[in-house]
Amino acid sequence: MFDGFKFRSVSSPVHTMDPRAKFIYVCALFSVAVMFNQLIPLLILFVIQIPFVVLAGVQKEWLRSMKGSAMFAVIIFTMNLLSLYFYGSYGSLPAIIERSLAMTVRFLVLIESFSVFFLTTSPDLLGLALEQSHVPYELCFAFTTAVRFVPVLAEEAQTIMDAQKARGLELEGGNFIKKIRNYIPILIPLIVNAIRRSLELAETMESRAWGATKNRTNLYVLKIGGKDIYLILVSAVIFVVSVYVSIYIQFPALTQLLVG
Amino acid sequence: MAIIKAEGLTYTYPIGTKPAFEDVSLNIEKGEFVILTGPSGCGKTTLCRCFNGLIPHFYGGKLEGEITVSGLQVSEHPIHELAQHVGMVFQNPENQLFALSVEKDVAFGLENLGVPREEIRERVDWALKMAGIYGLKDRAPYELSGGQQQRVALASVLAMQPEIIVLDEPTSFLDPLGALRIFKVINDLNKKLGITIILVEHRLDLTSKYANRVMVMTKGKIVLNGHPREVFNSEEARLIGVGIPKATRLYQILKAGGVDLGRVPLSSEEAYEAVVETLAR
Repeated sequence: MFDGFKFRSVSSPVHTMDPRAKFIYVCALFSVAVMFNQLIPLLILFVIQIPFVVLAGVQKEWLRSMKGSAMFAVIIFTMNLLSLYFYGSYGSLPAIIERSLAMTVRFLVLIESFSVFFLTTSPDLLGLALEQSHVPYELCFAFTTAVRFVPVLAEEAQTIMDAQKARGLELEGGNFIKKIRNYIPILIPLIVNAIRRSLELAETMESRAWGATKNRTNLYVLKIGGKDIYLILVSAVIFVVSVYVSIYIQFPALTQLLVG
Repeated sequence: MAIIKAEGLTYTYPIGTKPAFEDVSLNIEKGEFVILTGPSGCGKTTLCRCFNGLIPHFYGGKLEGEITVSGLQVSEHPIHELAQHVGMVFQNPENQLFALSVEKDVAFGLENLGVPREEIRERVDWALKMAGIYGLKDRAPYELSGGQQQRVALASVLAMQPEIIVLDEPTSFLDPLGALRIFKVINDLNKKLGITIILVEHRLDLTSKYANRVMVMTKGKIVLNGHPREVFNSEEARLIGVGIPKATRLYQILKAGGVDLGRVPLSSEEAYEAVVETLAR
């Protein structure tokens, strides 16, 4: 599932958009998805995002994230179904199923929009966007540095695992508790190394004049461009229309349509 | 005029019981290329940390004696001020790069100093070209080899235009070819730009010919200090366990066997010339 959130450096009109504009889009979709709880509007919401995914050229990764979240979707569906069946005030079984499906689609809509956001936004730009949104620089720096060290730590974890296995450590087998305990000899060296690494990093930062001035310059600046404004407008339209629809128009349930 | 001057310097780490080095005095002139060597744990790294104020400002502990760098009293000036005069390159290249692109990493120090954007761009490009990695500008650090990463670290320091660059075993994580490239860049910086270099290194075969001074430390003291030819040819250097260049060792063995090459060679090229001359005699 996490593969569907990992940034890949591809060039597409969506990749070069301002992260702030994309974030507004995600927020708009998020609030709209929460606004509705019927199946039809949520399905519409799911489908209208697909052109955006295609425009970004990340269909494959997007599909993978959808596949990855399938298990969670099933869990959400079953939980809803069971709780509605035993505790809900819905009468007929088809109505309960439809409601549970709606909740599942809502989850997928959220995953879909976040996945597109993270797939198309480089962590560097995201850090920059945070910085220009007046988030303290220390936090933005911590964020980008954390992202930069993910592959390094992954590699290190692999090395430690190999080394411990070579000394006869068994990682597989046993019950759940046993499995967690198996990983202690991996975690301890990993954490100790990470602490040591962070000291070295701090040393380097100090040597590069960290904190010399309050008015830091930044090599890059984000500017809201034409297509960013366009995306913000689209998000605003989706939001406003949804608010209007949710207040004034009652969507029929799919079961009613089929039966009636 | 001495660019680094230390007098009776003694330092103890906060958790240490005995000093990491004791009563160290040294004088480094502007434009010198100094190699600092000695067995592990002899206090080389600790001494380097004094040059840009990591000791005492970052590590704490007790620093006695006097040290001035570029005319600034180290104990009186914050690290970020000293960092503009002294650049530091450390051992592990991986832990010296924070950003997600090479260009951003090289710009990091200048951004911290609040240098105007246009100037940052110029200085970053210049530093990348000097380090011979301009083509890697947009790459991510984890896509690079160790040698390339270390040259990025060097460029990041260079962009801040320091008068002194201190390199603490910059090649111990690198393969021989990567190491050679680093040494060539360092030598260029010293000879073409007149930057004072202090290099902590064990690979003396590759570096001795560039240096005009070698300091050997052992057990927290500088015991030998002089031109590489004198230092490496001395009996003490061999006893301490310094990795004397093979060419120099060859000279000593030949001399013990009754053949005098006439002058002490530091590299295989020099040894070749000396042998050819001796044979022609």
